[in-house]
Amino acid sequence: MANVIFDNITFRYGSNTVLDHFSLEVESGKIVCLVGPSGCGKTTLVRALLGLIRPETGSITVGDRVLFDAKKRINVPAEKRNIGIVFQDYAVWPHMTVLENVSYPLKKQRRSKEEIRQRAMHALEQVRMTEYANHLPNQLSGGQQQRVAIARALVVDSDLLVMDEPITNLDAKLREEMLLEIRMIQNRLGATILYITHDQQSALQLCDKMAIMEQDGSLCQYGTDEEIILHPANRFTFEFIGVSNFLPLENTPSGLVFNCGEPIPCPLDVPPEAAQGGYELGVRPNDIVFDSSSPLRARVDSRVFLGSEYNYFLTLGQKQIRVQQSMLDARTRGTAGEGETVGIRFLNTRFYPARKGGTSA
Amino acid sequence: MKFRSGVSAELAAVDGRKRLNMDKVMTVVCFILLLIIVVIPIVMIIYNAFFNEGKLEVEMFVEQVTESKNLEAMWNTLKIAVLATILGTIMGVFYAWLLGRSDIPAKGLMRALFNIPYMFPPFLGAMAWDMMFNGRSGYINKWLVQLFGLKGMPININSVWGIVFVEVSYYFPFVFMQVVSALERMDPTLEESARIAGAKQRQVIWKITLPLVKPAISAGALLILTTSLAHFGVPSILGYAKGIYTLPTRIYAVIYNSGGSFDGIRQGAALSVMLVVVVAAALILQNRILSAGNYDIIKGKSMRPTLIKLRGAKIPLFLLAILTLVLIVIVPLVMIVLISFLKAYGLPLEFKNFTLAQYEKVFSANGTIDSIRNSLFVSITAGIICMFLGTLVAYVVQKIRPKGKGVLEVISMLPYAIPGTVLSIGVILAWSGRIAGINLYNTIWIILVAYLARYLSFSMKTSSAALLQVHSSLEEAARVCGASHTESLADITLPLIRPAMVSGFFLIFLPAMREVTTSILLYGPYTRTLGVQIYSLRDAGMIPQAAALATVAIGIIIILNTIVTKLTKDRKGV
Repeated sequence: MANVIFDNITFRYGSNTVLDHFSLEVESGKIVCLVGPSGCGKTTLVRALLGLIRPETGSITVGDRVLFDAKKRINVPAEKRNIGIVFQDYAVWPHMTVLENVSYPLKKQRRSKEEIRQRAMHALEQVRMTEYANHLPNQLSGGQQQRVAIARALVVDSDLLVMDEPITNLDAKLREEMLLEIRMIQNRLGATILYITHDQQSALQLCDKMAIMEQDGSLCQYGTDEEIILHPANRFTFEFIGVSNFLPLENTPSGLVFNCGEPIPCPLDVPPEAAQGGYELGVRPNDIVFDSSSPLRARVDSRVFLGSEYNYFLTLGQKQIRVQQSMLDARTRGTAGEGETVGIRFLNTRFYPARKGGTSA
Repeated sequence: MKFRSGVSAELAAVDGRKRLNMDKVMTVVCFILLLIIVVIPIVMIIYNAFFNEGKLEVEMFVEQVTESKNLEAMWNTLKIAVLATILGTIMGVFYAWLLGRSDIPAKGLMRALFNIPYMFPPFLGAMAWDMMFNGRSGYINKWLVQLFGLKGMPININSVWGIVFVEVSYYFPFVFMQVVSALERMDPTLEESARIAGAKQRQVIWKITLPLVKPAISAGALLILTTSLAHFGVPSILGYAKGIYTLPTRIYAVIYNSGGSFDGIRQGAALSVMLVVVVAAALILQNRILSAGNYDIIKGKSMRPTLIKLRGAKIPLFLLAILTLVLIVIVPLVMIVLISFLKAYGLPLEFKNFTLAQYEKVFSANGTIDSIRNSLFVSITAGIICMFLGTLVAYVVQKIRPKGKGVLEVISMLPYAIPGTVLSIGVILAWSGRIAGINLYNTIWIILVAYLARYLSFSMKTSSAALLQVHSSLEEAARVCGASHTESLADITLPLIRPAMVSGFFLIFLPAMREVTTSILLYGPYTRTLGVQIYSLRDAGMIPQAAALATVAIGIIIILNTIVTKLTKDRKGV
C-alpha cells in the first residue's frame, strides 16, 4: 500500500502549459478516479508519475519513495519506479504470447524461471485468461487484450496500479464486467489504484474517491463520489458530473426574474449576491418535482419511460429543461402527460455566476 | 491528448546524475554518418564544379554547360526520358487495366511475368537487343535482309528510338504496378453508379476510372521520368557506338577519355550539376502533381471489382499481352543465352557453331570469379550496413525527433534524387585523398561507400514505415515494466520491425548485385563488380563471353529472387 503525492507539478509542452503547479494526494489503498474532460492533462500527470516525461517543478512521492523532485534533482527512471500501468491502448506487445507479455516485468527483475511462470500464471488466473496463455495478442479480442494488460500490471505486486482509460474501447456489457473485476482485484490486493477517465459514469461506479480536473489542468475537487455529487465545489464539477439545468437570473425593476426568453418571476429565496442578477440557477433533473401549488408553470413537451424513471422535457418560458422522475415519485405524485401544463418546484438549488457568452441547458 | 514520443529523451537523469544518453548518442551518430556518407560527396561535387584550388572559377562550368556536345547530351536525355515516360505510361496503364479490370485469362501468371522486367537489369536487355538489331551486325537484322533481300538494315536499335524502346520495356512496370494496385483498391460502386446513370462502358473508362487512378498514374509516370533521366546502362550500350550521348553517359565518357585525371573529374562534376538540376526539376514537378490530385476514393481494404467482359476482343487482347511478354521478357533472355553458346560473335546461330567454351573462358579468366565475389561482398555489406543505419536514421527521425530531424530526413533521402553516376563522382572527389588523406580510390571500399549513399534511403523508407506502426506506448510499457531504454529497444522495437529490416536488406541487396551505373566509374583493376565485368567484356568485343557471364548473372538474380520470395512468404505465416 502506498499513497501518492503530487506536489506543485508544472509541465509545459512547448508554450502550452498543461499542468500549472498541480497538487494532489491520492490516499493509500483506495481506488481514486481522476476525472476530467479530454485534453485536461490527466494523461500528462500519469506520464509524469510513470517517469515518461519530466515536469519542470514539484515532486512526486509514492509511499516513502521520492520518485521525482525538481529541486533536489531526483528523477528515478521509468524502469525503476515499480508502478503497474494499464495503458489506454493496452500496449500489449504483439510479438509475444500472452504468457510472455505477462512474464516480461518479472524477467526484467531477474526472477527465477520457476517463480516467473508461477506468478505470471497466477496473474492470468486473476483476470481469467489462463487458457489463452500461449495465444498471440492478435488472436484475442479487445477485452481479452485488456485483461492481458491488467495481468501484466498486476504481476509485479506493486503498491500502485495506474489505469489510463482502460475500458473506453470495450462494449457496454464488458465495461461493466471489467469495472467489477477491477474492484475485486483491488479488494484482493489492497493496492492503491489510480484510475484515469473522462467518463464520469464509470468513475462513479468504481471509485472510493474522485478527483475532478478542469479543462485548464487544475484540480477542482477531491472527495468521495457522494460529496462530489451532493456538494459540488463549483459550477464545473456540478456540470461535469451528471446532468444539469441552468436558468439565468436577472434583476429587473419588477423584481428578480428567470430570463427564459421571457421574464418569469423567481419565487425562490436567493442568496444576496445572486439576487443582484448576473447569476444562474443550477438544478439537477431529479431535483425538480411536480407541484401543482407552485407558481412556476411549465409545459410538458415529451415524456419517455426509461424503466426505472421517467424522463421529461419541459418548456419553461421558452427554455427547455430536463426533469427526471423516479418510479417512487411517479407512484406517489403521479406522472404528467405530454402537452399538459404543470407546476414545478426546485430542490437543492445552486447559484453560480453566469458564464460569458450565454448558458447551456 | 497526443504527445510526441520523443520525450523519453529526458529520462536519463537518475538521482540528479546525468547518464550517457542513448537517444543523444544515436542522434549524433546519425548526423555524423550521414555527413560522411551523403553530405560530403555532394558538397564536393558542387565545390569542384565551381572552385579550383580554393578559388572561384566559373569559366570551366560555363564552358561545359555551353559546349554543344553536352547540350546535345542534355537534349537527348530529356527527349529519351520524356518519350520513355509517355510510352511507358500508356503501356503500363493499358496492361494494368487489362489485368486489373477485364476478364482476360491467366491473370495471375501474367501479373507475375509482367513484374519480371522489374528485376531484370536493363543493360542486359540492351545488350540482347543490340545483338538482334544492331544497325550493322544485328542477327535479326541480317536475317531480315537475307529473307527479303533488303539493301540496308531494316531496324537500327542504336538510335534514340531504340533506347526509348528498351527503356520503356523495362520501366513500364513502374506504372503498371502502381495502377494495378490502385484499380484493385478502388471502390467498384463508383463505376457501377456511372453505368446506372447511363454512361457507356467506354465513357466509364474515360470519365470515371482513369481520372480516379490518376494519382497512381502520375506517381508511376514520374518514377519513370526520374529513373530514365538518371539512367546509364541502356543509353551507354546502345548509344555509344553511334555517338548518341545522354548526360550520364557523357559524364562517363568525359571521365573515361581524360583517363581519370582531375580535370576530367571536375568536368564530370560540372555536368553532374547540370544533371542534378534536371532531375531535381522533375522531382519538384512530381511533388507538385502528387500533392495536387488526391481523391479519397481508394479504400485500404481490397474489394472485388466488377470485371469488364472483353467478349470478341478477349482472344486478340490476350494474344497481344502474351506477345508483349514474349517480346520484352523471353526474346532478350533467349538471345543472350544463345549468344553465350557461340564460338565467335557473328557466326550464324546454328547448332554446329555452339560450344561451352565461352563459359570455360569466362570462368578461367581472373576477373570473373573476383567480380562475382566483389559484387556479393559489396552488396551484402551495403545491405547489412544500410539495414542498420537506415533503421537508426528512421528511429531517430520517427521516435527521438531531435531538433533538425527534417534536415536528417532530407539528407537521407537526398541520394534517391541523385543519379548513380553523379554520386560516384562525388565519392571519387571526396575519398581519393583530398579529405584527411583518406584514399579509397581503386579499392572495394569506395564502391561500398557509394552503395551506402545510394541505397540508404531504401532501407530507411521501409524501416520508417514499420516504425510508424509501432506505437510509442509499446516501448513505454516496457520501460514501466522495468526495462532500460536499451532493453526496450532490443526486446520490443527491434523485434517488431525486424521483418521490415530484412526486406530493406533485400531491397538493397538485389539491385546492388546487378548494379553497373555507380561501379563503372569506381572500379579499379581488382575491384570489378559483376555488372562492370559484363560491361567491360562486351566493351572489349568479347560479346559471347559477356553473354555467358550475363546468363550466369541472370541465373543468380532469378535464384536470389526466388529465395527472397520464399523467405518473405514464410515470414508472413508467423
